[in-house]
Amino acid sequence: MKRAWAYIVLTLGALLVIYPFIWMVGTAFKTLPESMGGSLNPLPQAWQWGNLSATFQAAPFGRYFFNSMLVGITVGLSVVLTSLLAGYAFARFSFRGRGVLFGLVLATMMVPFEITFIPNFVVITRLGWYNSYAALIVPWCANAFGIFLVRQAFLSLPEAYYDAAVLDGCGPLRFLRHIGASMVKPTLVTVFLFAFLGSYNALLWPLVVTSDPSMGVVQVGLASFVLDSGVRLNLLMCASAFVIVPSILLFLVTQRYFETGALGSGLKE
Amino acid sequence: MSLWVGFSDGLDRVLAWADGHLVGRSGRPEGGRRAALCLLAPALILLGVFGVAPIVSTVLLSLFDLRYGDGAFTGMGNYQEALQSSAFWNSVRVTAWYLVGVVPTTIGLGFVVAWGLMHITRGRTLFRTLYFLPYITSAYAAALVWRALLNPQGGLANGLLEWLGLPTQQWLLEPRGLLHVVTGGAVAADVGPSLALCCVMAFDVWHGLGFTVVILLAGLSAIPQDLEDAARIDGAGVLQVIRHVTLPLLTPTLYFLLLIGTISGFQAFNSFYALTQSGGNTLGTTENLVIYLFANFYDNGRWGYGAAIATLLLVAIIALALVQARFARRWVHYS
Amino acid sequence: MFTRSFIGLSLLGGLIAGCNPTPSSSGDFQPLSTDQVVFWDRQTTETAQLLQRITDEFNDSQEGLPVRIETTGNYGEIYRKVMASIQARQLPAMAVSYESMTAQYAASGAVVPLDGFVSAASGGLSPEELADFFPAVLESNYYSDYDGQLLSFPFSKSVLMLYANHRVLRAAGIGAPPRTWEEFLQQCRTIREKTGKPAYAISVDCSTISGMIFSMGGELVVDGVFQYDQPAARQAFGLLETLMEEELAYQIQARTFDDEVAFARDDVAFTIRTSAGSANMAVAMGGKNDDWSMNPLPQQNLDRPATILFGPNITIFKTGAEQERVAWAFTRHFTSVPVMTEWALATGYLPIRKSVADDPRMQAYWDAWPSNKVPYDCLAFAKTEPNLRGWQEIRSLVEKAESAVLAGLKSAEAATTELQAEAQATLARAQQ
Repeated sequence: MKRAWAYIVLTLGALLVIYPFIWMVGTAFKTLPESMGGSLNPLPQAWQWGNLSATFQAAPFGRYFFNSMLVGITVGLSVVLTSLLAGYAFARFSFRGRGVLFGLVLATMMVPFEITFIPNFVVITRLGWYNSYAALIVPWCANAFGIFLVRQAFLSLPEAYYDAAVLDGCGPLRFLRHIGASMVKPTLVTVFLFAFLGSYNALLWPLVVTSDPSMGVVQVGLASFVLDSGVRLNLLMCASAFVIVPSILLFLVTQRYFETGALGSGLKE
Repeated sequence: MSLWVGFSDGLDRVLAWADGHLVGRSGRPEGGRRAALCLLAPALILLGVFGVAPIVSTVLLSLFDLRYGDGAFTGMGNYQEALQSSAFWNSVRVTAWYLVGVVPTTIGLGFVVAWGLMHITRGRTLFRTLYFLPYITSAYAAALVWRALLNPQGGLANGLLEWLGLPTQQWLLEPRGLLHVVTGGAVAADVGPSLALCCVMAFDVWHGLGFTVVILLAGLSAIPQDLEDAARIDGAGVLQVIRHVTLPLLTPTLYFLLLIGTISGFQAFNSFYALTQSGGNTLGTTENLVIYLFANFYDNGRWGYGAAIATLLLVAIIALALVQARFARRWVHYS
Repeated sequence: MFTRSFIGLSLLGGLIAGCNPTPSSSGDFQPLSTDQVVFWDRQTTETAQLLQRITDEFNDSQEGLPVRIETTGNYGEIYRKVMASIQARQLPAMAVSYESMTAQYAASGAVVPLDGFVSAASGGLSPEELADFFPAVLESNYYSDYDGQLLSFPFSKSVLMLYANHRVLRAAGIGAPPRTWEEFLQQCRTIREKTGKPAYAISVDCSTISGMIFSMGGELVVDGVFQYDQPAARQAFGLLETLMEEELAYQIQARTFDDEVAFARDDVAFTIRTSAGSANMAVAMGGKNDDWSMNPLPQQNLDRPATILFGPNITIFKTGAEQERVAWAFTRHFTSVPVMTEWALATGYLPIRKSVADDPRMQAYWDAWPSNKVPYDCLAFAKTEPNLRGWQEIRSLVEKAESAVLAGLKSAEAATTELQAEAQATLARAQQ
């Protein structure tokens, strides 16, 4: 009985949540006038499969996908690495100024990004990184959120794991590689997922630090359908639907880690 | 395979060598300051250059009356101007309404969904993915869909109202308050958040729900099932179990979500920008602090003033985070 | 010690990160690329392909560095990128920009005055060639804030048009689109009465308001004093007030083209948009040219008509002699008669030179459909918005005032009075 109610509520909620996606996919295959027409029917009268090729001809989306994946995966892995090292150090090492330093790290999470991009842009150009992968990747290779999550995960590990490491004569790096990383794996997967999504969905920063089409990313590619005098809404929706596919796949692969419990207890002090 | 073994061995040797230099041969994996420095270095260098340095330059900028790159030192002048500006206080109000509206709603709905997901067996992966879909969509693309659905002419929202026989609305174009609209004008138009702001808030609840559900699922699955079962055997109803068993054990997760929600709520920009473009078309009722500073900084070139708003925003976020941390001691239970 | 060095490093970074409050405004900027001349543009789709072809032809025809087009988002994004690049002292050779944008770039000393290039014996423009450009198109590129120098060069121009849907007009028994604002209001009332629908979809936009004020015989600013409390502006806002009160018009979502959609579906009879949208409108109307037309903006006084000119210019940045030389050569090539003719025919932008107007292909294009020529006919009485510092900021005040009137929260009288005071205060602060 309880379960039936759960299914009913979840199904209704899910319909509300995904309606915009049904609309997106339907619109992607409408003609331009029909897509703009404000029809209450989200599905096209006749499916315009030709929109697919029109979408991919409008901009070099193959290249954009390659760039976005390369940047997103590199950022994700780098954030995992820097967060693992720093989170571990904040959790297990005691040194003077640790509190202040951790506070400063958290403070970086609290500045609105919009105000940081001129100083960061200046740094990027001084380094000669304009129009390069480095500009898209390096500034995002560490983030406070990841460090915080990993630190919490290490804090919640029972002391016994560390004692075992001592018996093995492990130093911090070998401990992390052989024991630590696998103990906080769900957290690392989460950190990777959110770092990837943050990078993959970013629009303002790639727009500022690149202009060479060979450095374009998918989110910038979406702007190809916006004209001065109108929007090619059907093609834009078609491209948008394709753009979210890698993120969905990544979520499907990683989601089993979210219920292992380790991540949940990691949020405790 | 043997290549991998060779690589793995080599890596181990490098790590062992580095470990030796980090802590000497003293024993415990955690050593002193030098080891900490080395572990922290990659993150701290990156965050220092791309995170803390911009904060420093923002605070410095805020002391100058800059139009773009040029202008004289003005001390607290920008701050004084902000505190006396009605547009600034308007954006503070918009930010406050947004936080009050979005953060509890997202956590509340997220809890209902996560709790439901924990209690079903089939289709959990499917549901979880569906609820996560909005979060992985770029705000820009999602906003275009919402704008179409909320279009006063021919959009789905007004279609539904017409079908129900209710008066149609202007949605994202409506600067009048939600209460004014709902009560048919009994409440003054400038009381509470505008209908346009409520639309932006609804969008962000929708967009952020997936994140909340995932974190709550993690928290819920850390609660031992036998505690709930024991309470049920003792005759407690569903709501009682939730209230007395589940929620207290979930408080660390709830606190985490509250903190993250507050920080990102203060910084909300993409949804406002993509849905309403600027605050002007809704008479400032969708101009939150970040939109306000963005307009001043970039569109009007008032770098110093924009930086002062950013600094105030930073101070506000930190202050609220500290207040929450202080109150957290009263209601967050760490097992 | 550890913490201190981290804070020290960050402080240092903050200082290096530029935004040091007194940047030197002397010396040249680094070019974005040393072996290419980069042009930041905003065209997409078919127009971008045409621009690329024109650029390829130019590159084949010359020995110098090749020009490279980089599509850089909308005008707001281009503006932010250029401002950030000025701070980083590294710029493209040229970019599209509106006058108000160029005025800001020039304040940082980044803009190359073009007077020298124009008057040069070789590679310049002869007085006859310069006179070939329509005065309205050229004059706003001379900046009074900067000793009247030529700081940008015209490129894609259009004028404000009244688009009329004749299917709706016929249904309401109306023979021809309105020529005066009085007729416009009357026709809106007739359409409401006969079809039960609103007649006009309003897109909130400062330039449209400016055009309405011009056409009602007003000015925006005279000798540094705004004219929003003068009769013409009051009348423009008053018309919007009346249209909303009588439910003759409705407001569309900002920065969308929902009015075009409604127009194509016969939901409204009128939209007021620039002529640059005509190609898109033709697509939306399914090629049925008998069913719609472009008309001059309605006027107050048909003997002294006025309207507003839209469209960006090219600005060349100080990135070294060779880059600047090629950038000018490209600008000159792009605005040459054959290229401009091709551009105008393909995009619907105005022919900005008289010789283009004389081209037989242009004449044939005009003869093909009467509406094709209307924008060109309006060019003679088109005016531009002021290129004052601070105008960018005032534009949003105008749109706020318009939104207040459309929402019915303020009367036209109150909105214009407030706008006048706010605009004047903003201008005073910006000109300090």
